[in-house]
Amino acid sequence: MIRNRNRVCGVEEIKAKRRQHERALRKARKEKQLVSKRLPRGLQGDGEDVEIRETSVTQEEIFQLYQRIQRGSDDRLAALCSLRRVLHLKEAQQIFVRFENSIRVLNGLFTSNLASVQLQAAQCLLKLSHSDDPSVSLVCLPATPYLLTYLSGQSAKFTELCLYILGNLAAENEAVRSQLLVQGVIQALSVCLQVSHLMELWWRLRLICCHKCCRRRKQERRSSFLEASLTPRLIRLLDLDSEFGMQTTVECAWCLHYIVSSGVSSECMISQGLISQAVKLLIALGRTVDSGTTDGVELLIYPVARCLGNLIASDEQLWCKRQFHDSDLLQALSVFLRGFLQSRPFVTRECLWLLNNLSAGDRQFCSAILCHNLVPVFLQLIPFSGGINTLVLMLLGNVAELGLEYCEKLQQQTGLFPALCSTLSTADPEAARMTLEVLNLIFSYCQQACARFANQNGILALEMVQYHSNDEVRVRANFLMDRYFADQDV
Amino acid sequence: MRSDEAAGRPAEQAHWAAGRCALGCCRWWEETGVSPSRPDPVRPGLVVLEPAVACAEGGGDGAARESELGPSPFTFRSRRIFLQKEDEFFEDGDVHRHLYLQNSITSVGEVERPKVSEFCCQIAGCSQLFDALENYEHHYNTFHRNVCSSCKRSFPSSHLLDIHILEWHDSFFQILAAKQNMYLCLVESCTEKFKAFSDRKKHMIKVHGYPSDFRFDKPKKPKCNQKNQSSHDIEMETSSCQKEANDTSCRTSTESMDYAPAETMEADSPSMSEEKSSIPKVQQRPSFSYKVPTTICFGHGSVRGFKNARKKK
Repeated sequence: MIRNRNRVCGVEEIKAKRRQHERALRKARKEKQLVSKRLPRGLQGDGEDVEIRETSVTQEEIFQLYQRIQRGSDDRLAALCSLRRVLHLKEAQQIFVRFENSIRVLNGLFTSNLASVQLQAAQCLLKLSHSDDPSVSLVCLPATPYLLTYLSGQSAKFTELCLYILGNLAAENEAVRSQLLVQGVIQALSVCLQVSHLMELWWRLRLICCHKCCRRRKQERRSSFLEASLTPRLIRLLDLDSEFGMQTTVECAWCLHYIVSSGVSSECMISQGLISQAVKLLIALGRTVDSGTTDGVELLIYPVARCLGNLIASDEQLWCKRQFHDSDLLQALSVFLRGFLQSRPFVTRECLWLLNNLSAGDRQFCSAILCHNLVPVFLQLIPFSGGINTLVLMLLGNVAELGLEYCEKLQQQTGLFPALCSTLSTADPEAARMTLEVLNLIFSYCQQACARFANQNGILALEMVQYHSNDEVRVRANFLMDRYFADQDV
Repeated sequence: MRSDEAAGRPAEQAHWAAGRCALGCCRWWEETGVSPSRPDPVRPGLVVLEPAVACAEGGGDGAARESELGPSPFTFRSRRIFLQKEDEFFEDGDVHRHLYLQNSITSVGEVERPKVSEFCCQIAGCSQLFDALENYEHHYNTFHRNVCSSCKRSFPSSHLLDIHILEWHDSFFQILAAKQNMYLCLVESCTEKFKAFSDRKKHMIKVHGYPSDFRFDKPKKPKCNQKNQSSHDIEMETSSCQKEANDTSCRTSTESMDYAPAETMEADSPSMSEEKSSIPKVQQRPSFSYKVPTTICFGHGSVRGFKNARKKK
C-alpha cells in the first residue's frame, strides 16, 4: 500500500488523529462549514493502480509540462498524464493555477473531441476541485456549464468524473451552489438519474438539496419541479433491498432528510409514500440489527429517523391516517435503543426523539408502548445523561398525560418509581424538573400511585429536592409535597 | 368544581381562567379557551386530549386545597418537536457521518460511551457530586436531615436533635432544670433524667460506656457565637461536609457539635478538643481517657463561624 509506506501507525496514533479530526469536524459544523469532498474510490489516496506517485515537483517541471500541453498533438497526451500524476500535490496545484491561461487551456482540453485527452483533463480538474484551498478549487468554475452538459452523456466513467467534480465544487460555498442552480443542475441531475444510478449522484444531490431547499421560497418553480420529479425517485429508492446497495439508500435518506427539514410542504411527500417507505425501512433495519449485524447499519438508521421525525412533526394529520401496525415499528425502535446505547449513544438519542414525536398525544401509539412492554426498556435508559434521560421522561410524560388508564398501568411498572427517584436527584435540573412533571401527571390521575410512591421511598427523594437550587424544581417539589403528601410525617 | 357544576359557565370559566387549566391537569387551548367538557376536533398543530376526565379526577379532591396552594406550576405538555438540520441535537450524528465519509472510521475507532448522570447535593451551598444514588441518599440523610433550624447543626438522629434543641434553644430549660431533673440520657432507650450536665455525662460513661469526649454531648457555651449563627446558613455546614475526610488536624472548640459517623458513637470518638465547661476542670476531667491523638480528625464542626479562631483547612 503506497499510502502508508512512509509511516508506521500505532493504534494510539490512529485514535489521536481521529479525535483531532472529530474536533475539527465539530468546529466546522458550528461554523456551518461541515461538508466533505470526495474522490472516486480508485483515487482515494491509494495512487492510481500501480503507478508511483510523485512526492515533490519543481516549478520548472510543471512549466515544461504546461508548455508541452499547449503545443499540442502527440506529446500533449503524455504531458497531460504526467500533469495528472503530480496534481495531487498542493504545491503543484498552486503553481499550475498561477500560470497564465492555464485554466482556459485545461478547460479547452476538457471539451476536446479526443476522448482520451478529455478524460485526462477531467482527472486534472477533479484533483483541482478536491483541493481544500478555494483559490485552487474555484478555478474549475468556468467548466461547470460543460460539466452539466456532459452529465447526460453516455460514458459512465466520464459522467462519474463530472459528478465528482460538480460535487466537490458544490461543497465549496453558497455562491457556487447558486450558480449551479441557475445553470440548471437539478434538471441535469434528474436526467442523469434516469439514465444511470450512481451513488455519487446522490451525495451531490444532497448538497444541492441542502442549499436549494433553503431558497425554496424564491424559486417556487424549481421546487415544484423537484417535488414532481426527484422526490418520488428518492422515495422509491429508500429501500433496503434496492439493487443499488446500501450506500445509495443512505444518500437518499440524507437527501430526503434535508428536503423534509427545509420545510418543503409535506403533503406532497406523504402522498408520495414517504412515511410508509421510511417505516418499512426502519422495520427491516430493526430485523437486521436484531439478527446481530450492527456494523455500519446506524449510518442508515439515523437519517431515516430524522426524516420521519421531522415529517411527523410538520404534519400530524397524515400521520394519524397511517396504515401500518405500530408494534412492528416499536419493536424496531426498541432494538435500536438497546443496541446502540453503548456504542453510538446518539442513535439512541435520536430514536428517542422520534419516539417522542410518534407518541405525543397519540393514544394508539402510547397504548402500544404499554402493551408491548416498552416501559422497562425506557427505564433502563434513565441513568444516562446527555439528553437521553430527559427524552425518556418526556416519553413517560406523553403516556401519563393521556389519563387514568394509562397512569394506572404506568405506575404498576416495577422500577418506575425507583427510576424516577433517581432522576429526581440528578445534577441536571432539567431532568429533575421533568421528573416532577411526570410525577404530577401520574399523581393527579391516579391516587393509588401516591401510596405506591411513598412505599418505595419516594418521599425522601422528593424531600431532597425541596431545597433544590433551581427555582422551577423547588416550586414543583413543594407543590407536590403539599398537595399529595402533606400528611406524611417526615 | 363539583359543587359549582350547577352554575354552568362560571365554573368552567373559573377552571379555565384565561384559557388555561388552573390545575395544570389539562392542556390549555391557546386560541379560544374552549370548554373542557366537549371534545375538540383535532386541529393540525395542536395536540389535544380529553380533559373532562382529567378535571374530574385531578380536580376532585384537589380543588379544595387548590386555592391554598395557588395555581399549579406544572407546564408539561406533550408536543412533537421539529428540529432544524443544523440543530445541535444532530451534531453527533453529522460528525459521525463525515468521519465516515472522510474515512476516519476504522476498526480501531473508539466507540463513544453514553454518559451516566451524576447526583449532586442540591442543598444550597453543599454541592457535592455523587455517582450513585445510594451514596447521595446516605449523604443527605446524615448531613441534611436532622438539622437544628436555629444553629444549623446537624445530628445523626432526631432524638439527639430534640435533646439539642431542648438544652440549647429552649429558654425555659434552664429554669426548669433548676427545679427538676431535665437532662435526658442520650441513649434513646434509657429513660433516666439528670439534674446536671455532668451527672448525665457520668451516667453515660459509667452505664453506657460512652467516651468522655462524646461528640454529641457538649454543654452549651455561655459565651456564644450564637449571634453569628443566624447568618450562617447551611453553607457553613457544607464546609464540614466537604472537608470531613480531608483534615488531618484540628483544634476545635467544644461548642461545635460535630456530625460523627454512626459507628463512632460506640467506638472511641476522636478527641476534638479539651472538655470545657463551666464546671471546674479538676472534677470534669474524666478518670479514663479515650483520647485520640489530636492529629486525627474526623471532621470539623458543622458550623463555621467567621470568628472562629481555627481556620485550618
